[in-house]
Parts: sequence; structure tokens; C-alpha cells
Amino acid sequence: MRETSTYTEAELISGCTHGDRNAQRMLYDRYASVMYPVCVRYLGREDAKDVLQEGFLTVFDKIGTYKGEGSFEGWMRKIFVNASLMHLRKTDVLRRTEDIDEVPEAGGVLEHGVLEQISSREILDLVAALPAGLRSVFNLFVMEGYSHAEVGALLGITEQSSRSQLSRARSLLQEKIKELYHGKR
Amino acid sequence: MVRDDFDQRLRDRLEGVTEPAPDVWEGISQGLARRRRKVVFRRFTVAAAAAAAVLALALLVFRGPRDDGQVEAPVQIAGTIEPVEAPVVAPAEVSVPDIAPIEEQIAALPRQAVAAARVTKPAAPKAAVAAEPVVETPVTVVPPVEEPAVQEPVTQEPAAAPAEEPKGDETKHLLTEEDLPADYWTREESSRASRSRTHTSQISILSNLTTVASDGDLLYIPNASHASSQNGKSQAVSDIEPISATNAPKFYSPLTFGVQVAFPLTDRLSIATGVNYSYLVSQFDILYKKVLYEGAYNQLHYVGVPLALSWHFVQTPHLGVYASVAGTAEKCVAQRYVFGSNVASEKVKGLQWSAKAGVGIEYWFIPHMGVYFDPSLVYFFDNQQPLSIRTQQPLQANFELGFRFRI
Repeated sequence: MRETSTYTEAELISGCTHGDRNAQRMLYDRYASVMYPVCVRYLGREDAKDVLQEGFLTVFDKIGTYKGEGSFEGWMRKIFVNASLMHLRKTDVLRRTEDIDEVPEAGGVLEHGVLEQISSREILDLVAALPAGLRSVFNLFVMEGYSHAEVGALLGITEQSSRSQLSRARSLLQEKIKELYHGKR
Repeated sequence: MVRDDFDQRLRDRLEGVTEPAPDVWEGISQGLARRRRKVVFRRFTVAAAAAAAVLALALLVFRGPRDDGQVEAPVQIAGTIEPVEAPVVAPAEVSVPDIAPIEEQIAALPRQAVAAARVTKPAAPKAAVAAEPVVETPVTVVPPVEEPAVQEPVTQEPAAAPAEEPKGDETKHLLTEEDLPADYWTREESSRASRSRTHTSQISILSNLTTVASDGDLLYIPNASHASSQNGKSQAVSDIEPISATNAPKFYSPLTFGVQVAFPLTDRLSIATGVNYSYLVSQFDILYKKVLYEGAYNQLHYVGVPLALSWHFVQTPHLGVYASVAGTAEKCVAQRYVFGSNVASEKVKGLQWSAKAGVGIEYWFIPHMGVYFDPSLVYFFDNQQPLSIRTQQPLQANFELGFRFRI
């Protein structure tokens, strides 16, 4: 039997399209560690596991619709982002984002060199620890590149609210990064 | 640090992040298997619906024309009229077709066809009849026409006819309006509808809904712990045990689909049997290997065989009303728990027995196809089945909707 790593992406996609369980397993092995952090960014570690499973089921269900346009990883990432947003909507977390008004604006700016002292995993945890509304806006705007109008439409909030929540998310992240940085020193 | 710069640097740090994921392959594998079964079931349902549609179409195409009686009427009239003309010219050796008793034939005729035959007879000259073979007469006599009665008075005939009748031969009696009871045609139409309705076997394709979740998807049932311990625990052969922890059980509305065949026993009584499939979903807390899982889904799949008796007390060509009683034996063919990313199956022993009583109404929009609606009360006996709405609420109002096909 061939090593998992020797199968090309196209071979795995083809196998999954035909319902080959081995191909599905290999695709899962290859991308689970990439998609899991995406889910963590949106949901935190507690719920990310369930959405990781649901996302892969959707991938295997819809893989026949992948036309080969754009990167396959990008196509998969969109599915996991959508699955995460669905989960947030289902658990009604997004509607309870009014409490973000209570988040104080952080003062000052992040000094150069501070961010570099923090590991990627620590940054991931900081993002995951943001309130759900701020986290969603931050991820959609900063990580996925949506405009505020698009973020508002996706989350069912106004464009202005999206701007305001992004601002608070930035402030909060900077605050936490500073705390983490000073805690390390 | 400028905002956009901060965003960009965060993005750079986060985009390539990989992290060992928790192993959820087992759950994915089971989810894929479930979806595969759903696809198979969906295909089976579509095939069954297509087969039912083809069956209905075939019934309409190949059986439709017989039901109105118009096509066969002339031949039957011929048999009736022929002996009336015969005494003058036809000796005893003339072979008369093997025909049914006159009352049955008349019963099968449309009213206007018989009336036409009766008034046409005096117009046929006896000499002409004598010159031709008897068997040909009916063909010219009997077209069923709409405007028959006013052409000739019929009152002259009865006086002469009895004298020419050979005694003891019922088929040679001349039919007159006076021979029939005043309400003959009213009763006859009703009787024909009745025979058409009850002397025909039927196939029903049905679906059921109970009132369990009639005002929403879920019904909140308090005091579920009692039923859990009585019903769920007694059947717990594995590590799964329903318990009432922090949440009360919730029960989704059960769904039933089935096919039944009905056979007439008498004019008004019929018996029906078939195969039903029921799907029950509940949500409750469970203990699995001594670990509490809140809100686990429990899915039950039942296959059952019903036996029903129906008494039809209103029967018109298009409408029927009936009362029915039924008993059903159902076997739980699959039970599955879904909690978190886990799926566990359990076997269920024994049968679920139930009794049902209700009334029904059916409407036949074409002779061989109709719809029906059966509201009824169903009681599910305590047969030590897994916790479900049936164990929690044994008496349920049931609404059955379906199509019927006469065969």
C-alpha cells in the first residue's frame, strides 16, 4: 500500500468523490491539523472538535462540486468557516453580542517587537478567547478579508456595528498581547 | 503600530498555523455511514413513489373504462330484449346466450339505456323481426340515448305482452316501469356505488402524524424520570442508560409511512393489512459507561404489520365514511444513540403492540384513485420498549393521510 503522503491532492479528491473511505481518511489526516485551528479561531477549543467533524462531513458530501478553481485548501477553509458560523448561529451566540459594549477600549498602541515574542498558538488562544461577536468580526474581516458590509450581512449586524466590534477586538487583543508579553518578561 | 499593519502581522502569524487535531475520524466515519443509509433510503422512497405512480397510472389506463358501465350496456340490453321479440318467430331451439338473471342485468345498466330499449321495442315491426335472425336484433335496438322517453307512449305494451310470454321463463318478461318499486333507481344507484366501492380490493399509501408535537417541533414532557427508569432501564443491555439529570426528555413528532391492502368481506365490511415503517426521535440525558451525556439523541426505527377492520356506513361514488378498529405489531429494527461525536446502537427485544380506533373519510376523485383522512386514537401497550413518546404517552391522537387505489 502506498504511503499517504504519496497520493496527490487530485487523487484524493477523486477518491473522495467516489466515496472511497481510504481516500477520505487520508484527506482527513492531511487537513485536520490545518482546519482545526480555523475552527478554534471562531469557536474556541471547546466547540471546535464538533465543528471539525461536521465540517469534514460537509467536505465529503460536497467534494463533487469542487471544480478545481482556486486552491483546494481555500475551498475547504470556506466550508469550515461556514460550519463555524452556522454553529455560532445555532447556539445563538451571535445574538448575545451586546455585551461587547462593556469591553473597554484599550489605550495606546502595540510596540514593535512585542508581537514577535508571542507564539502563534498563544495568539490563536487569545483570538479564541475573545467574546464570540468580536471574534467573528475579527476573523471575517482580518483573516478572511471580507468588507464590513459583507461581515454585517453574514452576521446579521449593521456595517457600523461591524466596524465598532472590530475596533474593540483589536483593542482587546493588543491589551492581552501586552499582558502576555509583560508576563513573560 | 498602525492598525492595518497590526492586522497584517496577525494574519501572517495565524494563517499558517497548524495544530494536532483531536481524533474525530470515528465520528466522521459513522456520520458517513449514516448519510449513506439516508441516501439509500431516499432512493428507495423515490423508487417506491415512482412504482406507486406507475401502478396508479396502469390502473387508470387499463381499468378505467369499465367503471361507468356504458361500454358493456348494449350487449346486456340485447340479452334482455331479445326474448321479448322471440315468441312470434323464434322457436324453442333458438339458442339464447348464457345470460345472468334479469334483475342483475338491469342493475348493471345505466338508467337511460334501459329506458331507451323499452320505448324502442314497439317501433320495431314484427314482420321485420321475423325475417331476420334473432341474434342480430339487439345490435340495432340498443344505443343508449339521452332523449328517449317522450317519443312513444309505453302504456299500450303491457296489455299484449303477457299473453305472448311463455310461462316460467323469466328472461322473457317485458320490463315496465310499473314492475319496479318507486325508489328503485335511487336504491339502485346507491347499491351500485356500494358494490363498486366494497367489492373492490384497494391499495393504500399512507403517512401518519400524531399530535405529540403539533404545536412545534418539540414537546416538553415533565416527570420523564419515571418512564425512563421503567422503560429505558429495563431494556438497557449495554452501557447506555437514559436518566433524568438536568434536562427533561424531548420527543419529536413520530413519522409513519406504509402500504396497505384492503379486501372486502361484505358490502360494508373490509379488512386491511400491510407494512408500516415508523421513525421516532427523542432527546434526553444518558449515562454512557457511567459518564453523563446531556441531550443525547435516540432514534428508533420500527417496522410493523397492522390488521384493520372497517365498517363503511356512507358510500357514494365519490365519498365514503367509515369507522375502523385495528391492531398493530411492530418490531424495533434499529435503535441508535447519538451524543457528541459518538454513535452507539442497541438491539431491542420484543414487539410493540398497539390498538387503534377511529373514523375515516375518503374521497375518490377518479374511479380508481382517491385520498383519505383517518383521525384516530391509538393506545400503545406497555411491552418493555425503549423510552419514547409511545412509552411516555401511551394514548395518542393519530392523523393518517394517504392515497388509495382500487385494483
